[in-house]
Amino acid sequence: MKKERNEVKFKEKKVKFWPYMKRYWQLYLLLLIPIVYLAVFKYMPMKFVIIAFKDFKFNMSVWEMPWATTAGKLDVFKYFKKAMNVDFYNALRNNVVLHMLDLFFGFPAPIIFALILNELPFKWFKKTVQTIAYMPHFLSWVIIYSLALTLFAPSGGFVNQLIQMTGREAIPFLNESKHWMVTYIGLGVWQSFGWGSIIYLAGIAGINPELYEAASVDGAGRFRKMWHVTLPGLKSTIVVLLIMNLGGILGGGFDRPFAMQNNLVLNVAETIATYVYKNGIKGLKFSLSTAVGLFQSVVGMIFLLGANGISRKLGERGIW
Amino acid sequence: MKKRLLALVIAATMLFSLAACGGKANSGETNTPANSNTPVEEVKTPSDIEKLTDGQMVDGKFKETKKISVEVYDRDGATPANDNVWTDWIKKQMLDKYNVEVTYVAVPRWTEVDQINNLLAAQSAPDICYTYSYATVQTYADMAGVTDLNPYLTKYKSLLPDLWNWLKDENIYCDQDPTTGTVWAIEGRRNNTYRINTFVRQDWLDKLGLKAPTTTQEFEDMLVAFKNNAETLLGDAKDQMIPLMVTSDVGWTAANLIESFMDPAITDKELYVNGFDDRKYTQNGTKEAVKLLNKWYNNGLMWKDFALYPSGDSTADDLCKAGYVGAFMHNYDYPFRNAENSFNAVLAATYGENAKFVAINCFTDKNGKYTKYSYSAAGDRKAFFPATNKEPLASLLYLNFISSPEAVEYLQKGVEGINHKVLESGAIAISAVDEANKAYTQNSGQNIDLTMTCNGLRLSTEELTQKSLAYTYAMVDPADVANAMVQAGVDAVAPKNVQVGTIQAESEGTDLTGKRDAGFCNSVVCSPAEFDATWEQHMKEYMKAGGQAIADERKAAWEKTYGTADMLK
Repeated sequence: MKKERNEVKFKEKKVKFWPYMKRYWQLYLLLLIPIVYLAVFKYMPMKFVIIAFKDFKFNMSVWEMPWATTAGKLDVFKYFKKAMNVDFYNALRNNVVLHMLDLFFGFPAPIIFALILNELPFKWFKKTVQTIAYMPHFLSWVIIYSLALTLFAPSGGFVNQLIQMTGREAIPFLNESKHWMVTYIGLGVWQSFGWGSIIYLAGIAGINPELYEAASVDGAGRFRKMWHVTLPGLKSTIVVLLIMNLGGILGGGFDRPFAMQNNLVLNVAETIATYVYKNGIKGLKFSLSTAVGLFQSVVGMIFLLGANGISRKLGERGIW
Repeated sequence: MKKRLLALVIAATMLFSLAACGGKANSGETNTPANSNTPVEEVKTPSDIEKLTDGQMVDGKFKETKKISVEVYDRDGATPANDNVWTDWIKKQMLDKYNVEVTYVAVPRWTEVDQINNLLAAQSAPDICYTYSYATVQTYADMAGVTDLNPYLTKYKSLLPDLWNWLKDENIYCDQDPTTGTVWAIEGRRNNTYRINTFVRQDWLDKLGLKAPTTTQEFEDMLVAFKNNAETLLGDAKDQMIPLMVTSDVGWTAANLIESFMDPAITDKELYVNGFDDRKYTQNGTKEAVKLLNKWYNNGLMWKDFALYPSGDSTADDLCKAGYVGAFMHNYDYPFRNAENSFNAVLAATYGENAKFVAINCFTDKNGKYTKYSYSAAGDRKAFFPATNKEPLASLLYLNFISSPEAVEYLQKGVEGINHKVLESGAIAISAVDEANKAYTQNSGQNIDLTMTCNGLRLSTEELTQKSLAYTYAMVDPADVANAMVQAGVDAVAPKNVQVGTIQAESEGTDLTGKRDAGFCNSVVCSPAEFDATWEQHMKEYMKAGGQAIADERKAAWEKTYGTADMLK
């Protein structure tokens, strides 16, 4: 916004509010939509954060509800203490581990895919591959899990039936903790790499073609050009996405772990989101759910700011 | 500087990107002291009614049309659960009788607790809700989200004769708090208390020349025989053979086995203290039963994939209908439910008349008896009014109407010639509706989901009810139904009604049912060598997560109420 105004200043020297608005009001009208969205769905609910410190009552406003007490004594952190039990730490660990694995395997996948797509000479083939790769993104996790069941269930799954036909033991893709994690990460990568590559393809399209020509003149082959032109051109996009990703270390979706977990793998499959659902929301424990949510947001923000700080130290722009 | 400000705004947005819900709701009336069970004078004349209702009702009807919404379970039936000929009939009756306009809200049967939680939390729950989970009602009541029925019951008792005649004080005040007198929910009544049966494929036994097993060992031998003769029994589909079907709800689908391992001489106190989990997870003896399941699982006598499918998933049912399953345990009438879609009707259509599941008793306790636990007649579905209910009187009148013998009988037996025939003996025989009358399908057996306060057949006379019981399932052999009822009653013990007030810890526990199912499932599928460690570890976690607290509080509450007595009178 600041930049914009500077440019205007450059041309007209002094900006008057009304003439300026008369000229650009459509843009501000458009801006109003996201602002209203944020105000209604992100800022207005903020007052309810306070219920993390209160005993929730349906018949009172958030301001009237009494502060949390334990055995008659004021104990505003009651719900934080209640939430932070063994199960919570277990969920926290799983959340971090699964997120890190996702990051490790899932983050490079769309970049590599975009690089490969970019090198394809036939346009129709490229388009077809791209479209097919996008498709899983539009499947809900419930559907993906039922697909996974028909493919990977120990006795009824298609893949395991093939394996058993060759005389080998069925692989417990879904019913043993370590195998389940592999399946979980694998399906995650499969579901999202195509869609995730869009932003990188857009980034590649924005790279100045003269750079490639210059590199060719200097005798660079395909891989050299990829390494020295394309990747540096994508660097800022990659960094921004990485920072955003780290900010979500304690977040992560609810539907994926919830749809994929089963009774046998809960020790690795319970994440914070599913923990909050089962112990907080399902049990009507709003204060407890809010306490965990607040904790998640604080930690998420520390990671976000930390990653951003590091990236700026390393000379990148960061996200602001 | 501005950059930093922007940064702060963005950061704040992320920090608080969580939503919470709340708002104001009317809290209902304030609590009044415990009721006295003295009969209230009957109000007969319209003017009396007008006086009692402060002029709201004239000539027995509301002056202005009242609107209420009512929960109904949805079982994916042939017609929409909330809009069919039966709901239409009730709507018309309520409008004619009381000038009350009723709408129905469908809630999926097998995830009812989750769903009703969501509705309650969103303050959009129907005016009359029902659930099998009293803990849900209690939790919600603790947050001032449920209407205390006590003042209304006391005031309007004389307007609710049908409700009282059917449920009696015993069920109506079953959940009353002994100290504050609050009544958060009214307990429905079971008209028959059969619970769980063991079923085996009669035609498989015949094919292999086996007799129905009568002991646990014979049952195991039978499973082994099924497995070893898969080719004889299933031909090309031999790889599909599942001798025993247990689902991820192990505590329910192995109940007969588990209960046979409990001490038949268990005291009422122990049964109550450890009995907060209706799957008997924490009872003494359950571990040994699961150990046996573990052995069967590892010997290939059970479905390998069972733990992967959540409870309520229909895959297990589909495998039974497909004819791959030799035996299972479930509700006493499970293979007879849903007329042409019932297990037995599907099997008969695919494999011929003889292919069917029959109920047996084979799990012997240490005295050689078939001890099993039935339901108690008092206590079934709990009807309650969320605090958002603006029409408690109209809602109570609905409960009164739905408890009247005429309404129950009509909804249960349906229309003569479409839903039932009258046999020579006078018994009512339920028949499947034909294609032309599809609209008259009862989405739940005898419309029990609509007869909220009554579970089980209840016709005009007790004699007629008994005569008709075996004929209440269309398209299956009445002899099989009658046999299932006999078997379900053998050595059945009905739990006694323990009234010791609210156990606070029961609404505090963190997802105990989830932990229980995980414990059951993991213990069944682990290798036999790991069984003890697996069982103990899950049990430890379960007890730590709240199980122990409930057991302790129950023990204390028992001792406070009943002193040193171990048995109830």
